[in-house]
Amino acid sequence: MDTLLTAEIAVNAPRYRRRSSTFIDGIHDVPSEQGNMAPAQLYSTMSGRLFHSGRIAIVMVGLPARGKTHICVSMARYLSWLGVKTRIFHLGDYRRATVGEGGHVPQDYFYPNASPASVMLRQKILKKCREDIYAWLNHENGQVAIYDAVNPTASGRRALAREFAKHDVQTLFIESYVDDQDILKENARNVKISSPDFHGMDPDEAAQRYLKRIETKIPVFETMQEEELNYVKMINAGQAFFYNNVSFNYLSHRIVFYLTNLHIKFRTTFFVRAGTATEEDYKADAPLSEEGWAYARTMAESLIRHREQERQSLIEQGGPDLPLRPLSIWTSTRLRTIQTAEPLREMGYKVRQRSQMSQINPGVCEKLSERAIRNLYPEEVEKHELDPYHHRYPRAESYHDLAVRLEPIILELEREQNDLLIIAHESVLRVLYSYLMHCSTRDIPKLRFPRDEIIEIIPAAYQNEAKRVHIPGLDPKMIPGSPEDIRIPVPDTIASLSPIPGMSSPTDSAAPEIAITRPPEKIVNTAKEMVSDKVADED
Amino acid sequence: MGRFNGVGIQAEETHICVVMVGLPARGKSYIAQKAQRYLKWLSIPAATFNVGNYRRNNAPHPSADFFDTNNAEGERKRRAAAEAAVTDMMKWFKSGGVVGILDATNSTKERRKWVLERIRGEGVEVIFVESKCDDEELIMANIRDVKTTSPDYVGQDPEQAALDFRNRIRNYEKVYKSINADGDEDDLTYLKIMNVGKQVIINRIQDYLQSRIVYYLMNLHIRPRSVWLSRHGESMLNLEGRIGGDADLSHRGEEYAMKLPQLVLDSVGSDRPLTVWTSTLKRTIATARHLPKHYNQLQWKALDELDAGVCDGMTYQEIADLYPEDFQARDADKYNYRYRGGESYRDVVIRLEPIIMELERSEDILIISHQAVIRCIYAYFMQKTQEESPWVPVPLHTLMKLTPRAYGTEVQTYKANIKAVSTWRGKGSTAKHEDPLPEGGV
Repeated sequence: MDTLLTAEIAVNAPRYRRRSSTFIDGIHDVPSEQGNMAPAQLYSTMSGRLFHSGRIAIVMVGLPARGKTHICVSMARYLSWLGVKTRIFHLGDYRRATVGEGGHVPQDYFYPNASPASVMLRQKILKKCREDIYAWLNHENGQVAIYDAVNPTASGRRALAREFAKHDVQTLFIESYVDDQDILKENARNVKISSPDFHGMDPDEAAQRYLKRIETKIPVFETMQEEELNYVKMINAGQAFFYNNVSFNYLSHRIVFYLTNLHIKFRTTFFVRAGTATEEDYKADAPLSEEGWAYARTMAESLIRHREQERQSLIEQGGPDLPLRPLSIWTSTRLRTIQTAEPLREMGYKVRQRSQMSQINPGVCEKLSERAIRNLYPEEVEKHELDPYHHRYPRAESYHDLAVRLEPIILELEREQNDLLIIAHESVLRVLYSYLMHCSTRDIPKLRFPRDEIIEIIPAAYQNEAKRVHIPGLDPKMIPGSPEDIRIPVPDTIASLSPIPGMSSPTDSAAPEIAITRPPEKIVNTAKEMVSDKVADED
Repeated sequence: MGRFNGVGIQAEETHICVVMVGLPARGKSYIAQKAQRYLKWLSIPAATFNVGNYRRNNAPHPSADFFDTNNAEGERKRRAAAEAAVTDMMKWFKSGGVVGILDATNSTKERRKWVLERIRGEGVEVIFVESKCDDEELIMANIRDVKTTSPDYVGQDPEQAALDFRNRIRNYEKVYKSINADGDEDDLTYLKIMNVGKQVIINRIQDYLQSRIVYYLMNLHIRPRSVWLSRHGESMLNLEGRIGGDADLSHRGEEYAMKLPQLVLDSVGSDRPLTVWTSTLKRTIATARHLPKHYNQLQWKALDELDAGVCDGMTYQEIADLYPEDFQARDADKYNYRYRGGESYRDVVIRLEPIIMELERSEDILIISHQAVIRCIYAYFMQKTQEESPWVPVPLHTLMKLTPRAYGTEVQTYKANIKAVSTWRGKGSTAKHEDPLPEGGV
């Protein structure tokens, strides 16, 4: 894979300091210039660190196939969204880069009585990774470094905590402990499915073999019991938790709360828009129009067809013949979203309404033309164009307000175990999508969700994937940014289709063709290759 | 259709019963009371049902023997009290309750099984919350502090009372079984807090609201402490009767800043350091700047004054002239009224939630902030309703000390005796600052 090749070249370059998984781990791709606050960040500081919490090293503990990487990535995504500067350091990346592509670590690499050569290699890899962690915390204003490795022994963990303390960094260990055989097999299956080693093998047997191999490779693993260390033990993918709290601080508690809601089961999230309503007034909360109802039915059919197709293609690829996961539906409390879910509800799907998911409040901009707004609030328009994410028109909500309001939904989103369809206003979809796909605040107000697409978000170990599923046969008039959009807080980029042309920034209106083609979609389809490489990944 | 409380947590049709577990003097009532207050502050209907209060109807001043499990009569009365408390709680759920807290020892497996079946039978989720503590010193401190003031021992010799209470605990200890100590209660949803949060076990949390309660309880501690609250010294805008802004202190405001260290020292009673939290606005930072060097100081954006939006920097008269409907709308429902382009009290409460969390985790904190923010924090500690809290008078140049106790929060005020303008305005009154009526005082 190219990214790994790049990583290898980079790591061996004499003056290059690796920024961990910048190449493959989507959490790190957001520019971090001054003043670019994270979506739900409550305040900013000069150093970029939240000032009531020190620097923290989160050290992962657990054997392979325990969902560690998934936990790391989710945690990093959430913390970054809260405005905490976080970076993951996957030790596996360093090991791969050091041994080179196709290379393997010696058989006794993890043995307690390893040969001197193996010990040397291990230390070389560890050193490189730690150096990067310190550089991140000391010189790049990092606040949280997540160290993703097996860390199997108590003595190793104690030494690590001591070392971090010397650098004035607090250590929080997070162990993923699994003894439930079903969860282990499921994890092993998900990781191993595409490996050539297990090609053509019964998936159950492949999983068994893989787990056996881990046992031989890492013969010693001590679960955490160190009374003097701060640790969280997540047992069987979140069924139970054990906390040993020596000195938790604010961020540790926040992380704990997040983990309580996290699970490591596989499920997908779908986003769709609501249908068009008879009246586009924010306060009116009007019912669906005829076209809106037609849209609701077509969307429901497309979604169900798509889910069935996905299942079939999985079976064709040799996957197990499992029934579809149940689907839950969330709407806001606005009438048009509730009615858009109606055809699905009639088919027996469970629909829940969430008040926090109502669209961004347009404030004084409601029902005003662009010209009127420019005349009435020239200063506000100016401020808005400078920072469309944080700026708030009189009595309106900014995207930032919306993100803060949606935070509980984010936690519930993590908690949900069924597949989930979210039917909401474009402004809400933007914010939720930005959390799952880790977008920068600069891009969030510009994300587009045309009505003829269902967005499917598929979780993957390193980075979520987004897919756009086409809904065929819709009236083209209702597809793009509809009049229900709030013109002002959300400058429309599709100038030619807007009833108020020219609202968007000059560059956008100058090149409407480019604006019509959607902004760069963050569709990542590399998970499989990533995972195939993880077969030999033992730390 | 679901029910919504409007503050970011959807209660829906959820009914949760929090069942306290643990020996007496382990801070159960304290935890119960805190959880209730926190939830109500977030507009989630919550109530505590204390089995001891029901039992007192039948046995007002029982001796330790009453609590011996071999005492059939005592056992029968205590079971009846539990039944009565649960029955009342179910009635309360039907009238809109969301989180009911059953405050009792529930210290045996049999009792927990009974409670679980009884409550689940009514379609209510059950989460057990156990406080387990074997630090003898802490237990004795708790006994002295709480139980000698308990209604059971009213008018009795405190020494005698403490002794009797210790014996009562012994009777419970004989049969006490910590949750899942035998490994056969693994299917319960529970939170077990050991030695005041040193270790915590969380098992089978079912939904978001449960996880939120658990998160809050994990942040609690029962070490004694106080919270000090003060507004900034009088500012230049205060002098002109203008709201908001980011002005410097007035001359008298400076005087208050100079006097504050002594005021704090008198209240703390020793040179034990406090941690000082200010907002990011000039007037609070200036007010804190003469405090001793060994006090840590932090600035929180979340402690900034309620954002008055377009009205920022105006006098009430100007607001009344320019936005007459707004002025009236604010009086009609001050808690929910959101200034044009600004915030409501409800918005402030939501942004203060992390502060409250952090406050619960910390020990001695001095907060120097602004009128609306102090009102919201005060409302949290003093259980003020949404109707009352936005009207609480918080005069300038006054230090407040809040000390949480098992059965409520104690308030002491320290006046600096430095004159300042009033920034208080009564409901429905003219657009002027006025002096609050004496009986409305903090």
